[in-house]
Amino acid sequence: MNKYTYCLYNGKRPVSWVSAILLVLALVFSGAGLAEVPNAVPPEGEHKGDDVPQPIHFPHDTHAKINEINCMYCHTYARRSKVAGIPPTSKCMGCHSVIATDSDRIKKLTEYWEKNESPPWKKVHDVPDYVHFTHEKHMKRFLFDNEDMEVERVSEVCAFCHGEVKDMEVANKVKPLNMGFCQRCHEANGGPSDCWACHK
Amino acid sequence: MSGNDINRRKFLKVMGWGGAGAALAGCDMPTTVTLEEGKETVVSYLMPEEYVIPGQGVYFASTCQQCPAGCGVHGRVREGRVLKLEGNAVSPINEGGLCQMGQAGVQTHYNPDRLTKPLLRKGGSLSEVTWEEALAALDEKIGANSSVEGGKVAWMTGTVSGHQSVLLEGLLESLGGAKHYVYDLINNHVAAQVNEAMYGTTRPTYHLTKAKAVLSFGADLVGVSQSPVHFAAEYAKFREAPRGVLIQVEPNMSLTGGNADLWVPAKPGTEGALAMGIAHELINNHGKDASALPSGLNGKIKAYDLAKVETLTGVPTDKVKSIAKILAEKAPSLILTGASIESSENGYAATAAAAMLNVLLGNVGETITSSGGFPFPQLDAKTGSGADLLQFADAAGKGAIDVVFFHGVNPVFTAPGYLDLEAGLGKIPFKVSLSLFADETTNQADLVLPLASALEDWGTHVPAYQPEQSVIAMQQPLMEKLYPATKGFGDILLDMLKLRKVEGYTDFSDYYAFLQDAFAALPAEFKNGVDNASFWNQTLASGFISIPKQNASITANALDIAVTLPGENINYGLSLLPAIRLGMWDGRHANIPWLQEAPDQITKAVWGSWAEIHPKTASRLGLATGDFIKVESVKGDVEVPVYVYRGVFPDSVAVSVGQGHQAYGRYAEGRGVNPLTILDSATDGKTGEPALYGTRVKVSKVAVNKDEILVQFGGSESQVGRKLAATITAEVFNRTEGA
Amino acid sequence: MSLQNVLTNWSQYRKTHEDGGFYDYEHMWGMSVDLNKCTGCNACSVACYAENNLAVVGKEKFDKGQGMHWMRVERYWDEPDLAAGESTEFSEHGGSFLPMMCQQCNAATCEPVCPVAATYHTPDGLNAQVYNRCIGSRYCSNNCPYRLRYFNFYSYYESSWPEPLNMQLNPDLSVRDKGVMEKCTFCVQRIRVAKDTASRENQALVDGDITPACVQTCPTKALVFGDLINTESKLSKLWASHEVELGKTEQHKKNKEKRGYRVFEELNTDPCVMYLERVKEV
Repeated sequence: MNKYTYCLYNGKRPVSWVSAILLVLALVFSGAGLAEVPNAVPPEGEHKGDDVPQPIHFPHDTHAKINEINCMYCHTYARRSKVAGIPPTSKCMGCHSVIATDSDRIKKLTEYWEKNESPPWKKVHDVPDYVHFTHEKHMKRFLFDNEDMEVERVSEVCAFCHGEVKDMEVANKVKPLNMGFCQRCHEANGGPSDCWACHK
Repeated sequence: MSGNDINRRKFLKVMGWGGAGAALAGCDMPTTVTLEEGKETVVSYLMPEEYVIPGQGVYFASTCQQCPAGCGVHGRVREGRVLKLEGNAVSPINEGGLCQMGQAGVQTHYNPDRLTKPLLRKGGSLSEVTWEEALAALDEKIGANSSVEGGKVAWMTGTVSGHQSVLLEGLLESLGGAKHYVYDLINNHVAAQVNEAMYGTTRPTYHLTKAKAVLSFGADLVGVSQSPVHFAAEYAKFREAPRGVLIQVEPNMSLTGGNADLWVPAKPGTEGALAMGIAHELINNHGKDASALPSGLNGKIKAYDLAKVETLTGVPTDKVKSIAKILAEKAPSLILTGASIESSENGYAATAAAAMLNVLLGNVGETITSSGGFPFPQLDAKTGSGADLLQFADAAGKGAIDVVFFHGVNPVFTAPGYLDLEAGLGKIPFKVSLSLFADETTNQADLVLPLASALEDWGTHVPAYQPEQSVIAMQQPLMEKLYPATKGFGDILLDMLKLRKVEGYTDFSDYYAFLQDAFAALPAEFKNGVDNASFWNQTLASGFISIPKQNASITANALDIAVTLPGENINYGLSLLPAIRLGMWDGRHANIPWLQEAPDQITKAVWGSWAEIHPKTASRLGLATGDFIKVESVKGDVEVPVYVYRGVFPDSVAVSVGQGHQAYGRYAEGRGVNPLTILDSATDGKTGEPALYGTRVKVSKVAVNKDEILVQFGGSESQVGRKLAATITAEVFNRTEGA
Repeated sequence: MSLQNVLTNWSQYRKTHEDGGFYDYEHMWGMSVDLNKCTGCNACSVACYAENNLAVVGKEKFDKGQGMHWMRVERYWDEPDLAAGESTEFSEHGGSFLPMMCQQCNAATCEPVCPVAATYHTPDGLNAQVYNRCIGSRYCSNNCPYRLRYFNFYSYYESSWPEPLNMQLNPDLSVRDKGVMEKCTFCVQRIRVAKDTASRENQALVDGDITPACVQTCPTKALVFGDLINTESKLSKLWASHEVELGKTEQHKKNKEKRGYRVFEELNTDPCVMYLERVKEV
């Protein structure tokens, strides 16, 4: 145990994501695949993003498509915070201390790990500083509070704004993520239209 | 003994701070350089704790170190950075509130002018060295194998308490009686000695909430006091219906004076005579029982008839009568004293005279009770006094000190100029400064040990003023150190104890380990019946250990002392009053931009010095707000812009304290003037405390200095008939909102 | 409201409740300031600097009135009441301290004059400033009778937050650049966090969930924050007990001695901040 265990004081409400996890588990075992995300109109708009060289050539397809790992397994904060989060290096090592340890990419990852460093990933998706975007709310609307939607199909919701990442190796930006893009989607799906809902 | 690995807080192992444009994990750092893909780096956590969620703040409890009051704080930490400090709602000291200095604690921590590496004087100038080199230099001077003479080693600190104090004591002892000078410009040493003589304790507990009237002789309760936030909270309760009446007697308006129902300016140095006059009135016209006082004192009071008091103090007879009437009608009351009465040439006698009123009015045991003692004397606060500074300056000047250590003080800045401490320090061969900043004292040092900030360090603190509930306040790091080559105070003390090879300390890997051991050693009765690990965690979570107070009775003996009055000086016709306010404090916060830009509460001046002058005096001297004057004492002069208002005694000039730094970083350096440089050598006869209010000056108009003009917030000085801050009478208030 | 809504319902934003103005509120955040408790210590103001990324402009620009204190404490010296025999020689009753933050007027004079609808009223009853929409015409600040809007005449990022001071910046709101008007938001970022937390736990927002920075730090608890629509909130009860109502230009109190008032309510701005009169012993 970490000797420096700090006692968590978080103001008023104890943060509880137990309920969220239970929900995830419940949904994993229910329902069959549907053609499109129910109760949702996917946003329209395309963007031709540049290739982004990353410190480690991370193959999303291997993880999300071939091995069918749920997006939220790594981007674990998406359901409970503004940001989806780049997975902590410890999470990568959780598998890759035993899986594919002889590949060049994993060797490089292990090097970072042993130096007590995280790989300096390059940012691909971003919104301006004056935008308050929260993953949590969108996941709630399109996934967890969406009656006919199963949680293992989360990648289809992610794809609204991130494209078919499971078909990419290193992720590219393929949606414009500008105000018009957001606004059209909000109008089609009943999102808030109050300026201060999204601007800060 | 618990070991400490370098990555003591792995969950804070966030890389990339300090890197331009580098965004932290999931953190939308402001001023994103670009939205383009692949241009910015986003670095993930290496191994986060479960409760760390990027984008969400986590609050940790600690203790504010901006002044010695010991307020509990909660630091909001996000992505490994502390962003904001808030008052800890369950702390009995501050009950959730925090003053502006506490709020600005993050700007001390993130200050761009912090020291980042140890510095050693080589061939006249300070140059960067490693800690190994720094400790080697120390070892040579004070190590176990050195030829150090304990009597020639000195420590000078500000208020110090808790386990740091324990380590310091251990070190002083190992050095064979090294002298510890505790110095704070802002102190209540005179009142403490009066209390000791009257009540047998230096720190009784005051109950503002039980008082129906408060007569304060310059006690700036809600401003510069022993516990500003605590007394502000008490003040608010005092003001609830039925509303207590506050009368403030002082030569220039403090923040508390600005909130008084009746603000009474008395001629500086004559407050003791006013207290005697009030006693006279209470005995003669309100039937107060003089037998509660020593007979000798009674005889002295008889001499202070109101006509005489008016002549001496400048306070009109009807004013004294109305003060006495309020005190007689509103029992229990509370008489308090502050710097303007304590820090004068007859400070002790005047303070005793004021305190005598508490006995006469029967307040002792009602609004003044015993503090109940503190069960850990070794942890108790050692508060500063000015007398220690004078002794230190004397010893330094005589060449009686070979090695000196400074921590939490900047005496080169705060010492009266006539002491010429710079020259005194020049006679000390080896000076060590433990500091966050290159202040005036640190620049004189031969060895500079850079401290970790209060938000990066461990510690325990015992507030000097404990309210009804006593605490040991806990300080814990809120984030990883900004600069790896800085060290906590406790860790440095432990290093020195190891250099001395003092038994019982050498086994601790660091101060954290020492603290945990010390906590384990606390008697079980303070641990809420839980094991040591849970007790430690509980303390970190709550931010303090509650110490039950013993109910002890209090009795008081009024002191039979004659009040003396300051002499006149024809050549220097005005009194110099130091205007010390919540904000700059003793000058230690002049390097905080938020506090420089926060207007002084009374004058609303920002970013500089000013002199307060009464309109009468101003018109006699032909001065208006914004003009510049030269304020000249026998010890020197300063030039400063004038603020004319009706909150200062005529024939005096109040100059703000805190500016006029020669060093101390970009925000402080070369701004304003330091009136402490022109203080005269007056001291209180009884206690030997320097009399900050005992300097006589003359004033002349000089040319405007464009770099130092008076800049004030706001437009009009009055409400010009608009209903902005409206006022009703207490009578109406008590009728509509009384219980 | 969206731009379209603002344009469609333009005239509604100028009216108060009584006149059938925009009343479709989810919340109406308001405040109460007790001048009997306020000591003018300035803690609220510095807390606001810390919370809201307020720029430090320096002496020269402060002198020109360009200070960015969203929360400021004004200090007035009252003229002596000669009839009551008050001293003309000294300020015998101290000063009058008045904390002023955006009054979040329901009939805000700043809103209708914005040529680009960068300032508008939210369904939370807040007077919002959308920084990225603002073009810096400064009409709003000229039209604010309280002078509570602050303009970025310069870009302060480099000068106000030299490294590592910039690490203290609150990521929950933007750092405003040159040419943008800014103002007190009642700490809307804290309101967002409280709403998000409540929604995460499928709970309703409870009175006391939100504490703006100034209210949190106040050593005397002179400031109270709450929802004026929720009649059970501490704030609503406080307003009611002082007989102060929204939507009025003049309060007709049963008990005229009650302390509550709103600054400049006679201008029909319908502010959401109630002040409680300072009390003095005669």
